[in-house]
Amino acid sequence: MTTFEWIKHAFDYVGGAQDEPPPGFPIQLGHWWFWAVWWGVLVLTIYYFSGQSSKFIYIDF
Amino acid sequence: MHAPKRMFFLALAGILIVLIVLDRAVARSAQNSVPRSLMARARESAGAKAVALGNSLIGVGFVEPAFDAGMGLGDRDGAINFGMSGSSALEELLMLRYALRQGLRPRVVVFGFFDFQLTHPLEFDTRDLIGNRAMLYYLEPEYARTLYHLSPHDRAEFEIMRHFEIFVDRGEVWGRVELLRRKLAQQGMPPEQANSLGRAIDFGLLEYPSAPAFIAECGRAIRNPLIPSVREIALQAEAAGSEVYFVEMPMPPEHVQLFYDQPGWAGYRAHLRGMLSDLGASYIDASHWMPDQAAFADPLHLSYDGSQQFSRRLGEYLRSAAPAQPEY
Repeated sequence: MTTFEWIKHAFDYVGGAQDEPPPGFPIQLGHWWFWAVWWGVLVLTIYYFSGQSSKFIYIDF
Repeated sequence: MHAPKRMFFLALAGILIVLIVLDRAVARSAQNSVPRSLMARARESAGAKAVALGNSLIGVGFVEPAFDAGMGLGDRDGAINFGMSGSSALEELLMLRYALRQGLRPRVVVFGFFDFQLTHPLEFDTRDLIGNRAMLYYLEPEYARTLYHLSPHDRAEFEIMRHFEIFVDRGEVWGRVELLRRKLAQQGMPPEQANSLGRAIDFGLLEYPSAPAFIAECGRAIRNPLIPSVREIALQAEAAGSEVYFVEMPMPPEHVQLFYDQPGWAGYRAHLRGMLSDLGASYIDASHWMPDQAAFADPLHLSYDGSQQFSRRLGEYLRSAAPAQPEY
């Protein structure tokens, strides 16, 4: 399996398109902490970039 | 409990922990924000005999040592500048009230303004309450809410948001992301003119698009009263024993020629003078004090040298105008 195929397989697994993880994939989706980290990272990403629609004229605060 | 249900609630608890950590991190990041730094200065400057209020025009245009030299104030009783970029008279009123509660009893209070800031009604929505304006969430929010308009939807949002730092000081985080975005956008592009406040081209957006539009606004504004925050600044400063001066700030020659030399502005200025005089406050027209474009760093703000000259001249002016008070 090439690196690209491994990454694709990993994303397929995380996204639910494959039932089995690629060889050596370190995370078990059955663990609650995986989903906490997953949603936590998504919340952080949304929070950090949700100010895009604000017009910053002054940016010295 | 079923395994999926258990996993869901445990994951939910994990997300809550992430949010609590984020909330604390934002609070820590914002502890030195401009409003909080100025509040800290107010606590340490009880001897200040002059206070400057206003938006960025005062924030960068009022240089404390130059003003002190002009007015003859020393290190211990020197002026304190509460000017904040992007602020309205409301945030400045809150800062003045905070300073007075800390024991400041300034002999002179100066409020610098431009265009229609003194009569333009304050209507916000929660999207506006970022940056320095975020102080409306935490400095006397109930009192401040009586002085500006929010829609019922925004009122409800405000009440929820003001209890969480991730909402109150979200501008701290968003500002850094915006700076990163600008830095990335500048890769391989000609450098943009910018200063400590932001991009010079953006400040042009705060000006009226044309002389006819400005004159038309003069016609409307001449019927408007002072906004409540401005009235309160005058009344509360006077009640604390201060002489209050509203300063029409120096503007670049093009702005003066295009807008302030129009008869409509002269009429509006007379209207302001009359209303402020009724409150016992004085009006200083400093708009023509800096006739050289070189004294300005961008379409609105004074340069470093221009700020020094203006501040010293203002200090000298007030030294001759403000009655001396005995020290107790």
